[in-house]
Amino acid sequence: MRKILLLSFVLWAALALAGCPAPQPASPDQGAQAPAQEAMAGEPIKIGAIFDLTGPTSDVGTPYAEGIQGYVQWLNEKGGVSGRPIELLFQDYGYKVDVAEQLYSQFVNEGIVAFQGWGTGDTEALRGRIAADEIPFMSASYSAVLGNPEEAPYNFLVGTTYSDQMLIALRWALEDWAAKGNAGAPKVAVLHHDSPFGRSPVPDGEAFAQANGMAFTAIAMPRGATDLTPELTQAREFGANYIVIQNVSSPAALLLKDRQRLGMDDVQVICLNWCADEILVNLAEGAAEGVVGTLPFAPPTEDVPGLQAPRDFLAAQGQDLNEIGLHYGQGWWTMAVMVEGGIQRTLEAGMELTGPNIKASLEGLQGFDTGGVTAPISYSEEDHRGNRSLRIFQVQDGQWKAITDYIDAE
Amino acid sequence: MESGIFFESYRQDLTLRRTPAQKIRLALVLAFVLVFPFFADNYYLTLANQIGIAAIGAIGLNILTGFTGQISLGQGGFMAVGAYTAGLLATRWGLPILVTIPLACLTTAAVGAVFGIPSLRLKGLYLAIATLAAQEIILWVVTHWEAVTGGTDALVVPPATLFGLKLGGRGADFRWYWVILAFAIFTTLFAANLFRSRVGRALVAIRDHDIAAEVMGVNLFRYKLLAFATSSFFVGLAGALTAHYRTIVTWERFTIETSISYLAMIIIGGLGSVSGSIYGAAFITLLPAVLNNLGRAFRDVIPGIAGLIPQIQLGVFGGVIILFLIKEPEGIAKLWKDVKDYFRLWPFSY
Repeated sequence: MRKILLLSFVLWAALALAGCPAPQPASPDQGAQAPAQEAMAGEPIKIGAIFDLTGPTSDVGTPYAEGIQGYVQWLNEKGGVSGRPIELLFQDYGYKVDVAEQLYSQFVNEGIVAFQGWGTGDTEALRGRIAADEIPFMSASYSAVLGNPEEAPYNFLVGTTYSDQMLIALRWALEDWAAKGNAGAPKVAVLHHDSPFGRSPVPDGEAFAQANGMAFTAIAMPRGATDLTPELTQAREFGANYIVIQNVSSPAALLLKDRQRLGMDDVQVICLNWCADEILVNLAEGAAEGVVGTLPFAPPTEDVPGLQAPRDFLAAQGQDLNEIGLHYGQGWWTMAVMVEGGIQRTLEAGMELTGPNIKASLEGLQGFDTGGVTAPISYSEEDHRGNRSLRIFQVQDGQWKAITDYIDAE
Repeated sequence: MESGIFFESYRQDLTLRRTPAQKIRLALVLAFVLVFPFFADNYYLTLANQIGIAAIGAIGLNILTGFTGQISLGQGGFMAVGAYTAGLLATRWGLPILVTIPLACLTTAAVGAVFGIPSLRLKGLYLAIATLAAQEIILWVVTHWEAVTGGTDALVVPPATLFGLKLGGRGADFRWYWVILAFAIFTTLFAANLFRSRVGRALVAIRDHDIAAEVMGVNLFRYKLLAFATSSFFVGLAGALTAHYRTIVTWERFTIETSISYLAMIIIGGLGSVSGSIYGAAFITLLPAVLNNLGRAFRDVIPGIAGLIPQIQLGVFGGVIILFLIKEPEGIAKLWKDVKDYFRLWPFSY
């Protein structure tokens, strides 16, 4: 028995050594300088990525990851960027911050020039490191602070920030309220995930509501709740006409079902982007009908030119974009902005492919067209928010349909 | 030919390193950790630093759970106290790390002692729930006391300097390696010596039988609180180091999952063993890294397996832990001891 144990321990150690790339003698600064290698035709461009395929957000993380990988494969089949293929270094991290840090420094060592993160946890944890290492970074966390280069110089946002989504939602609520023939301003309750992600748009929303005479309250949705009656009751007692949800799909679906059960159908629900997807419609069954969403990325049911390439790419593999859902296009176009807006423009300008150069190229990006998937993407030295407008969608017959033109947050 | 280790005086019995082999191994380990950073790249340095911080936290938890027998699910919360104290002192008042870190440790020790009070009445599973409450209360305070902690927003800590040397920026992993190593050695020496002292023996007596210990004259009130305070001191140190090393503090790093992963470290490493805490910290930190590297290596070798790799990794992670617990409930420390014993008496082990 003891021998078996010893043997398995030795085997584990051997596998550990075999699995890791051998450490090369190097100065401590070596990893950070790796991106500054000579650009050679045909040499792959390395981009790092971490995905959540097994953690708490894997339901949306998986199609997002497939979108990023799909774009890279599609681009490489077309011949890559200026004749150079993209090599995506990726790994699942299960939404664990420690693992994200390990993978990030491993990929930086292996010579990546840019990085695709995923959630709020890893994006916040790596914010300081990417600035020190000068690695341009995009992720699916749309906190407004990440769009401010003074706070986060190497973070770039493709999706509309949560704050801007909130402002757009409130603008729409004001119009909708007046269009229905009501006088005065509506009362709004924000029900949010109890986390930085959830609370991120609350202060800006509150300021906007006060400036426009709307009564406003924010109610935290407890994590892991199986019944949201108390929160809904609180919203009803407040007299809310509109409920804005900043949470992920499964608790939002629970809320919609509870709302139906409590007979609060007259309260219009608005979902910000992480609960405005197909998963919500499937989970809430009929209760999602009529729900409105701020979608920065067009769903596959919209016939926009920007989704044709991913649709055809998937069809060639026997898959259907409509089945995979809107997060595929979200991942696809986030990667496209990084590659076409940053890396390709750097190479075309004849500059060396370094973090600061890619950052400068992105900061010169004006009105980048995503084929109608998002509002055009622009960055500047003072503003890393890709866009500040989106269309409002509504669930009609179980599908998200655009009901407005682009609404601007300002 | 040896047949065992025998002591002829109390002085011999009390020494930390008893045999020449132990002294040689210690010298080898020291030589390795001193040379390692010059040959390692940033990835290996990141892993080493994560292990160092985890080892400090695990030794802290082991003082409480392994040596004193008081189970704690509040590890994440106590780390948060250390991280936020150090982070806030550095951000608000610009204090240097040689001030923020000790203050963070002392604050965590005080908070730990307060949450240790229920241990005077509660034992075992009941104490586990009481410390779970500590975890939840601390995180609730951290995320809701906005005037002080900034609520759920990330707390950005300015890069630290030590003796005029900037620790942040490029090469931060290399410079922090030495800082973390120094604190880890201090923690290890302190803990190893603690259990040769009167206080340490009192703590072990409480673990073995609290009533018997009290009859022998061990003041339970005093020593249990002392155990909580000492343990929390080092847990706070781990938290403070995380804050300064990562230059950002978010509550998401200190959830109940953190508490459980530290418990896993000391159980797998060896309860009531200082070196076991270090082995456990290394094991729990390296296992995901090893699995990730294996996953990346096999992804391209076997077609069609790419989509399954993350699930396989999770299964292997759980499986390896279960295997270790079944095969050697006393942890890696015991496993290592068995290896040493086997070779000491080899080839005539019976």
